[in-house]
Amino acid sequence: MIQLRDISKSFNGNEVIHDLSLEIPQGKTVVLIGPSGCGKSTLLRLMVGLLWPEKGNISLFQENLSKDNVEKLRQQVGFVLQDGGLFPHMTAVQNMRLMADYLDHDPQKTEQRIAELCELTHISADMLKRYPSELSGGQVQRVALMRALMLDPQILFLDEPLGALDPLNRVSLQEEMKTIFSQLGKTVVLVTHDMGEAASLADLIVIMKDGYLLQYDTLSKLSSQPADPFVTEFINAQRKPWQRLEDQIK
Amino acid sequence: MKTLKLYLRLTLSFLAIASAQADSDSEIRIGSKKFTESVILSEVITQHLQNKGLTAAHKDQLGGTRLLWKALLQGELDIYPDYTGTIIYEILQGEGISSDADIKAALARQGVSMTDPLGFNNTYALGVTPSTARKFSLENISDLRQHPGLRFGFTNEFMDREDGWPSLRDHYQLPQTTVRGLDHDLAYKGLEAGSIDLIDLYSTDAEIAYYQLNVLEDDASYFPDYRAVILYRTDLIDRDPKIQSYLTQLGGIISETEMIKMNSDVKLDGRSEAEVAQSFLKVKFNTLSKIEVSTRLDRLISTTSEHLFLVCLSLGAAILVAIPLGIWGARNSTLGQVILSSVGIIQTIPSLALLVFMIPLLGIGGPPALVALFLYSLLPIVRNTLSGLTGLPIDVQESAHALGLPASARLRLIELPLAARSILAGIKTSAVINVGTATLGALIGAGGYGQPILTGIRLDDTSLILEGAIPAAVLALLVQWSFDFVERTLLSPGLQIKQESNS
Repeated sequence: MIQLRDISKSFNGNEVIHDLSLEIPQGKTVVLIGPSGCGKSTLLRLMVGLLWPEKGNISLFQENLSKDNVEKLRQQVGFVLQDGGLFPHMTAVQNMRLMADYLDHDPQKTEQRIAELCELTHISADMLKRYPSELSGGQVQRVALMRALMLDPQILFLDEPLGALDPLNRVSLQEEMKTIFSQLGKTVVLVTHDMGEAASLADLIVIMKDGYLLQYDTLSKLSSQPADPFVTEFINAQRKPWQRLEDQIK
Repeated sequence: MKTLKLYLRLTLSFLAIASAQADSDSEIRIGSKKFTESVILSEVITQHLQNKGLTAAHKDQLGGTRLLWKALLQGELDIYPDYTGTIIYEILQGEGISSDADIKAALARQGVSMTDPLGFNNTYALGVTPSTARKFSLENISDLRQHPGLRFGFTNEFMDREDGWPSLRDHYQLPQTTVRGLDHDLAYKGLEAGSIDLIDLYSTDAEIAYYQLNVLEDDASYFPDYRAVILYRTDLIDRDPKIQSYLTQLGGIISETEMIKMNSDVKLDGRSEAEVAQSFLKVKFNTLSKIEVSTRLDRLISTTSEHLFLVCLSLGAAILVAIPLGIWGARNSTLGQVILSSVGIIQTIPSLALLVFMIPLLGIGGPPALVALFLYSLLPIVRNTLSGLTGLPIDVQESAHALGLPASARLRLIELPLAARSILAGIKTSAVINVGTATLGALIGAGGYGQPILTGIRLDDTSLILEGAIPAAVLALLVQWSFDFVERTLLSPGLQIKQESNS
């Protein structure tokens, strides 16, 4: 579904992604994880052409990503940012239908789609009349997710979608997202630095450090057959406090 | 595409209105400098020609000698009165001319003719109050050498004319260093208030008698004659051969006493220049010229419409040009810097200078004022458009890209609406500045609220000054309010809610 071959990317002469290759299969949820500055968000932006690599190539749907087709390909994927990235001058529903209206989709079908998405994300149609500044953080992320899903894209990209939420909201939206992803069967690429989130949502996990891909595997393989001592270190560092307490008692 | 067409059409119609304004008809245009005697003389000439059945219009109080001379050469004016001394030392300076015949020959080379003198001599002189004269026992200009501490206040034109202060100082070896340039009409006030000791006078000024000033004797015969004459474009005769004879009729008819009386009627008794000229012509030619007696309301309506015309047209054109410039600059930071510094440089040119620069290109009246105001209005709008667009939050810019909107749609649907507050604020700043600066348009004959202010300063008439100043202030406030209203209606409620919760 998504293929990255020998990608290198620099900012001001500093290489931040080194010769990285990755293949993301259809219908799977893949989580990119690693400490701050490991290049995970950069990698995500490269996949939708918000940034361009100096070296290597990227393909979506077997099509090489280039400046000529980037707008067309973006219309076939959904993207959610940490702060939602909603347009503050439009109501939630205007945000959602912006692309559908721009592409002259049948308004009736658009309405129908909005209703479906409301059901999926447990947002009331009334809520959608509000402007982003009148919504809570969790509501903003739900609307951003709905906007990303509006055109029924094959791939969904999420950049720390829960990063700005308080812990309670975080857990409940994480659960909801898990359900939504499994219901929709889409290819999902999600960036986070939270191992719990990765563990809960991911089919496959990419662990990154300093612009290198350390390991790309299921959670159990990462745990049982770490490719690098850092993988174990990273997984353990992020275990829940009570788990660490248990370890100490043992 | 539709927007582009609409945009082009708007720009074209603005240009059309502006150039229609520039179109001149066949009327004869008589100019005057911005002091009372010049206005009266031009009024006499205008009414006299009108009485002969010609279409003549008086473009009053336009500025100084250089401005009127340029306008005459450009054909913006057909006629204006001047003085022989001024012509020799200011207009034809350095040509070493002394006789009237030489003047006429030199003027003819530039397509300008001169009538015989009108009669009176209005020379420059230096004046002091009687108490100053007594205190320092001043009688002659040469007496000034003994009192280097005296403070001089001269008209700005006198300060740098060839026949003005620098050569007067050399001629008399005067030691004074405290010399300020100021408006002639304000100079009398300064003299009376004691903030200056000596001013330059025109010998026909009514104020000399009124303030009982002592005129210092030009004992080393420095000042030349300043006999009033009429300058006119020689090609005027092609339009109507009789004009020359009409103008000749005015030769020798105004004595010094008569001129002082007319100046005094206007400046001290508050009669209008038109009335004074009418009475004069009635006595001399037994004609009764038709003059329009304008009420305060008439004047207010006409100055308001002139002012609004200047402001709306120049601001409208500035908006149409500045927003695209700002968008363009936001796309490319190097280009943005170039654009910002270019419009910034325009802003640093003093407004009066900019107005005068426009005259060789566009003549006098509305067009040069419109262009100057247009140029002044660019910077705030360009800057705010540019900063509004480049200052958009990263996440908003990223999501606009990530949705797959092409650049033009991003601009129209996302970026411009979000930058609207900043752009509107820029337009508001421009509009308020524009309303104020447009008052200077009166200096080059564009009318507006500056007209009564200018006349009021000249005639020392506070109510006339207020007649221009108050409406200008009110208009500035109205502009401010109407933009606040536009902001509330045009700006998305989503942005206004944010603003409220932030504040």
